[in-house]
Amino acid sequence: MSKHDVAVVGIGQTKFRSKRRDVNIPEMVYEAVKMALDDAQLEPKEIDAIIIGNMDHFEGINFSELFCGIEGAPGYLKPVVKVATGGTTGSSLAICGYHNVASGIYNKVLVVGWEKLNEGGATTGIITAFDPVWERPSLAGALGPLALMAGMYSAKYGITSEQAAKVTVKNRSNAANNPFAHLQMPNITIDYVMSSQMISYPLRLHDVCPQSEGACALIYANEEETKKITDNPAWFHVVETAHYYTFGTDEAMFDLPTATIASKKAYKKAGIKNPVKDLDVAEIYEPTSWSELSWTEALGFCKPGEGGKLLDEGITLMSGEFPVNPSGGVLSTNPIGATALVRVAEAAIQVMGRGEKRQVPDVEKALAMGFGGSLWSEVLILGKEPLR
Amino acid sequence: MSRKKGQKKVFEIKWKTNLPYRYSIGKLAVKFFEELKKNKKIMGSKCSKCGKVHFPPRAVCADCMVEMTIDDMVELPPKGTLEGFTVVNYPFTDPNTGGMRPFPYGYGLFKLDGADTYTMHFVNETDVTKMKIGQRVEAVFSEELIGDLTADIPYFNIVKEEE
Repeated sequence: MSKHDVAVVGIGQTKFRSKRRDVNIPEMVYEAVKMALDDAQLEPKEIDAIIIGNMDHFEGINFSELFCGIEGAPGYLKPVVKVATGGTTGSSLAICGYHNVASGIYNKVLVVGWEKLNEGGATTGIITAFDPVWERPSLAGALGPLALMAGMYSAKYGITSEQAAKVTVKNRSNAANNPFAHLQMPNITIDYVMSSQMISYPLRLHDVCPQSEGACALIYANEEETKKITDNPAWFHVVETAHYYTFGTDEAMFDLPTATIASKKAYKKAGIKNPVKDLDVAEIYEPTSWSELSWTEALGFCKPGEGGKLLDEGITLMSGEFPVNPSGGVLSTNPIGATALVRVAEAAIQVMGRGEKRQVPDVEKALAMGFGGSLWSEVLILGKEPLR
Repeated sequence: MSRKKGQKKVFEIKWKTNLPYRYSIGKLAVKFFEELKKNKKIMGSKCSKCGKVHFPPRAVCADCMVEMTIDDMVELPPKGTLEGFTVVNYPFTDPNTGGMRPFPYGYGLFKLDGADTYTMHFVNETDVTKMKIGQRVEAVFSEELIGDLTADIPYFNIVKEEE
């Protein structure tokens, strides 16, 4: 068990957009960092260490720790750790920050993730994350494999394109309640999604996440420091990581077994018997509409094959028993290095009751999930009180 | 850079840079490419402890933490069964060539007969209505083999009838 309880005590995120040509990377990182520091009412000198992360080869900029050390995040003359694990970068950052405080090494850390996706090529960058000889030649970034997974999922369980389209409708209309979300579409319809261009069967344009630019920063503190900062923190209950392959095709893995492994461990440690009943809300990493249906199964929110039914019955809607992605999720906002950290930030926001129009009533416990290009999964659970 | 009407021109500097890299493929992959080039053979590697057959060939069985050498390499037939497929229909720069990847293209996930791991490759079909999970696929070899995966096996064909 951890030596210290760890809480989120400050949150900052930029308004995510397709392009942020008005700022360079450190300036964009600074916006989120300043918001988080102001939120916690802390000065840079009060932060013990900085955990930073993005996928810098996606933009072809490979020395981001240098310029984020001084200008962007207040890392100058402080311990800095850099994390880059693909799509999971944000949740790996969140977990790395947790370990640094839970272990007693630091009292207060700043965690920041970002991406300026439209300054590079995400698909090209993602391909470079795979084996140059065996995997790169036919790999088409993330969407090709996600299309394979969607097709296999559909074939196995008879999930329809219409059921998948409902996820986009749910998430992008939820995004209209989130002032930071990139694609806010309050009037989006199933027909609009289903008539968009087929980009990789069965994925249509609006079945997939956008490319976003922006940053997200969180400040963590141990129990003693948290008391001094806020009476409304979000406490970490558990953090879990699971990954089990080297090549993307060692196993078919269409149903993301790593999410099942990580969530089962997390539920056991956090005393969650039935996630839909014992948790109040989830922010999951759904790169495609089909993934959300499949991964609500993998995370144990319903039985295998029942992801479509779960949404059809309205359980994961904002008005439902267990809302999934009130923020609009990844289908609305995808700044890769920040994407999974936004899930953690939004879970913390729900626990703190600070979600305004996107707030789910009476949240005690929230789940955040990260997914990475190597079919990794990370699961974090946060609560209003420390885990006892 | 394209810009919308009425939008101010953005200050922009363009660089075009070549960034060459080398990549060491490992002994088993060297053997794979030698066999492909000289003998038109597809080789995987078999774990001496659990018997799992890995394709592409691997130097360590992750389940057993047992090393595999060239002596553990086994020939696999150029045929397999389609587990998943899609038709990639969007533009992007291919980091292996620096140019745009031609599209649309068929992309499949399959196991070669006798292999225990999956592999992915181009499939010579761009009409999804003609593709189905469970279909048999067969490697198509180039006439001249040079020891390069996609040059020597540009794609797999969907086999219409099982012989």
